Amino acid sequence: MRAHRTRPRPRLIQKTPAPRSVVRVYCKVVLCLASIAGLLPAAGPVDEKTLRTAQSDPAAWLMYGRNYAGWRYSDLAQIGAANVARLAPQWMFQTGVTGKFETTPLVHDGLMYITAPSNHAYALDLATGRAMWHYSKPVPRGVNVCCGQVNRGFALLGDTLYKVNLEATLVALDSKTGMKLWETPIDDYRRGYSATVAPLAVKNLVIVGIAGAEFGTRGFLDAYDATSGKRVWRFWTVAGPGDPGANSWGGDSWQRGGGSTWITGTYDPDLNLIYWGTGNPGPDFDGDVRPGDNLYTCALIAVDADTGRLKWHYQFTPHDVHDWDATSDPVLLDLTQNGRPVKAVVMANRNGFYYALDRVTGRLLTAKSYTQVSWADGIGPDGRPILISGQDPTETGNKSCPGIGGGHNWQATTFSPQTGLYYFPTTNGCQLYFKTQQEYVDGLWYQASTTHGFPNDPSTGSIVAVEPASGRIRWRYELVSSASSGLLATAGGLIFSGDREGYLFALDARTGKPLWKFQTGGVVIAPPISYQFRGKQYIAVAAGSAMIAFALP
Amino acid sequence: MLLLPAAAFAQAKNPFAADAKAIEAARGSFRIYCSPCHGIQAEGGRGPDLTMGRYSVGDEDAALFRVISEGAQGTEMPDFDLRLGSDQIWRLVAYIRSVATRSPPKLEGDRREGEKLFWAKGACGQCHRVDARGGRMGPDLTLAGRQRSLAYLRQSIVDPNAELTAGSNTVIVTLRDGRKISGVQRGFDGFSAQLLDVSDNFHSYFRSDVASIERQFRSLMPDNYGKLFAHRQVDDLLAYLVSLRGGSQP
Repeated sequence: MRAHRTRPRPRLIQKTPAPRSVVRVYCKVVLCLASIAGLLPAAGPVDEKTLRTAQSDPAAWLMYGRNYAGWRYSDLAQIGAANVARLAPQWMFQTGVTGKFETTPLVHDGLMYITAPSNHAYALDLATGRAMWHYSKPVPRGVNVCCGQVNRGFALLGDTLYKVNLEATLVALDSKTGMKLWETPIDDYRRGYSATVAPLAVKNLVIVGIAGAEFGTRGFLDAYDATSGKRVWRFWTVAGPGDPGANSWGGDSWQRGGGSTWITGTYDPDLNLIYWGTGNPGPDFDGDVRPGDNLYTCALIAVDADTGRLKWHYQFTPHDVHDWDATSDPVLLDLTQNGRPVKAVVMANRNGFYYALDRVTGRLLTAKSYTQVSWADGIGPDGRPILISGQDPTETGNKSCPGIGGGHNWQATTFSPQTGLYYFPTTNGCQLYFKTQQEYVDGLWYQASTTHGFPNDPSTGSIVAVEPASGRIRWRYELVSSASSGLLATAGGLIFSGDREGYLFALDARTGKPLWKFQTGGVVIAPPISYQFRGKQYIAVAAGSAMIAFALP
Repeated sequence: MLLLPAAAFAQAKNPFAADAKAIEAARGSFRIYCSPCHGIQAEGGRGPDLTMGRYSVGDEDAALFRVISEGAQGTEMPDFDLRLGSDQIWRLVAYIRSVATRSPPKLEGDRREGEKLFWAKGACGQCHRVDARGGRMGPDLTLAGRQRSLAYLRQSIVDPNAELTAGSNTVIVTLRDGRKISGVQRGFDGFSAQLLDVSDNFHSYFRSDVASIERQFRSLMPDNYGKLFAHRQVDDLLAYLVSLRGGSQP
């Protein structure tokens, strides 16, 4: 294993005799330039401040959404419209692990940290793509998952990596060796819980969501002490007896109320608020057994980072019966509305509407449909959808749009401060929704029926560029299938994404015109990332069972 | 940890046989895992009709358990062993038994006449393969009698566009000089398309090199067999198709 420098080399600079203040400034400038040029690795343990300023280090990729606002925007501009046609693979790492590969890689200090399906994880050398270590743990038999044994990546804090294992545990690994430091159960997989989310490190906490709403679980958002692994707080996303919102659940239906938290949220350090989307109520398609709005499912919650106390919530789909989780990225943007600045959080919701909310109060600013929607005729001034009747699932099947995957599912979105546009992949299509009465049996599917597609009219997709304040679509790049991969925006004026047919491609961020493509040989589900190594900008993406890194020749 | 397939633990007797609660629980699982092919009421579709109490894999509970657990080789039936585990598979067997309430439909057709029609007047063999004989453009029918329900096969003959077999779309490429190439889809994506034309020629085009590439959700199979053939002849053809079960293959 080759050594990776963990700290910059300030001694080289300190040789110059000069007043201390000058040294400090000079030091800062040289280090900054050196870092931008990629001459020095982004170095040292990642602390709270590093994470707060993650956007300012273009060489690294330190968290799921790149910065706490969830922009997934890289300031690197070596690769641009003029030369992207020459982008070529530099290395490929084959995991040999089958299943959907959904990881957002982290890049720090000469290594790339990735998680793979079924409890596998690796550290890869940025020069060659060779694995420096491999972590794996057998998945216990009997773990129920709706959608594959997937995992979406690490969080990094100090020298420690944090990931969830499928059987609903949180594990801490030494970033240099991959050795387990501790592993703590989040909840009991035998009751239907599982975990797939990339954790989020905030201060000395590791924030973790849960999956399992198709198996009669009750969802929550947890915070764990990053050092000890002990749980610090839990916010139940399904209001129970005594909680505000408890009357939005009939009878004891809250006990199996769903509300998973399977996609990483965002964080505003100034407001000290964590924003996290919540999933569908359970059972998915039979709403009769859970009368009421079913708070806080299909909602965005803003909770205090230190205590987990709810500051506000906004429910996109009250009493959802179409499995339209609100687990799309909640992206933090500062917008101008009616000539006034407003701190906003935006979400391209699975229910077919794009929303912008005031992130201080949760007040609705804008809602606009971005795909075919048959269930609501807009969102009213009270923030509730204006429902169209006859859209609920039935015993014999009822057509509704969007389909079960929604207009936009979990695929990562991106914001470019260069264009001021917000980009996300979409799916356009409808499905037949079936419901049935179903008695809950511990640990078994509790979806109360299913959906069918239309073989002769399958869903298609697109990538859209949206003006975030109005929701107006600036351009749309059509895909032949439903959206599969997330997005990356770069300062080179490019949007990178992939598709179900195996292509990774680059679009012009201003026009949506395709500028480059590469056939990876496997479905692209994960979002691409960008980083800098030895002076070169790279684009990397998980495709099929491989991790591939691209650069200019 | 050594993972033994659930089939290794297969027992002849279903521990959930006629267990009302298990059957009710399995109804939900059936809808999620099985109904896309076998129909929402198990009435069949792309997959066999399960309501008649007769199964190509054998009529014993153990045979049903095995096919759910291991899948059926040569068909689209996948293995559910790792996803479901033995208890859930036994519950599904109990559910499938509970919906076997209908009698098998009487097929009036003559298999031999149907076979003649298939290879001669109908010219079905131009595009469809049975064992080693026949064309390449249409779906392979070697196992059609095991794979498909009777209703699905009938619909495929008289209304082939009603529900296309996956990947049987028509692709039409218009070249820059105006020529059109059409064939059955072998590949179709945002940047290219691949197709097999009626003369068995393989084509591959990038979108950037041609005027247009269009995908149509219709089959190249003629849609007038329902008019060309008498009702009796369609029945003969169906009798032949239902008999196609891949010989002694598992």
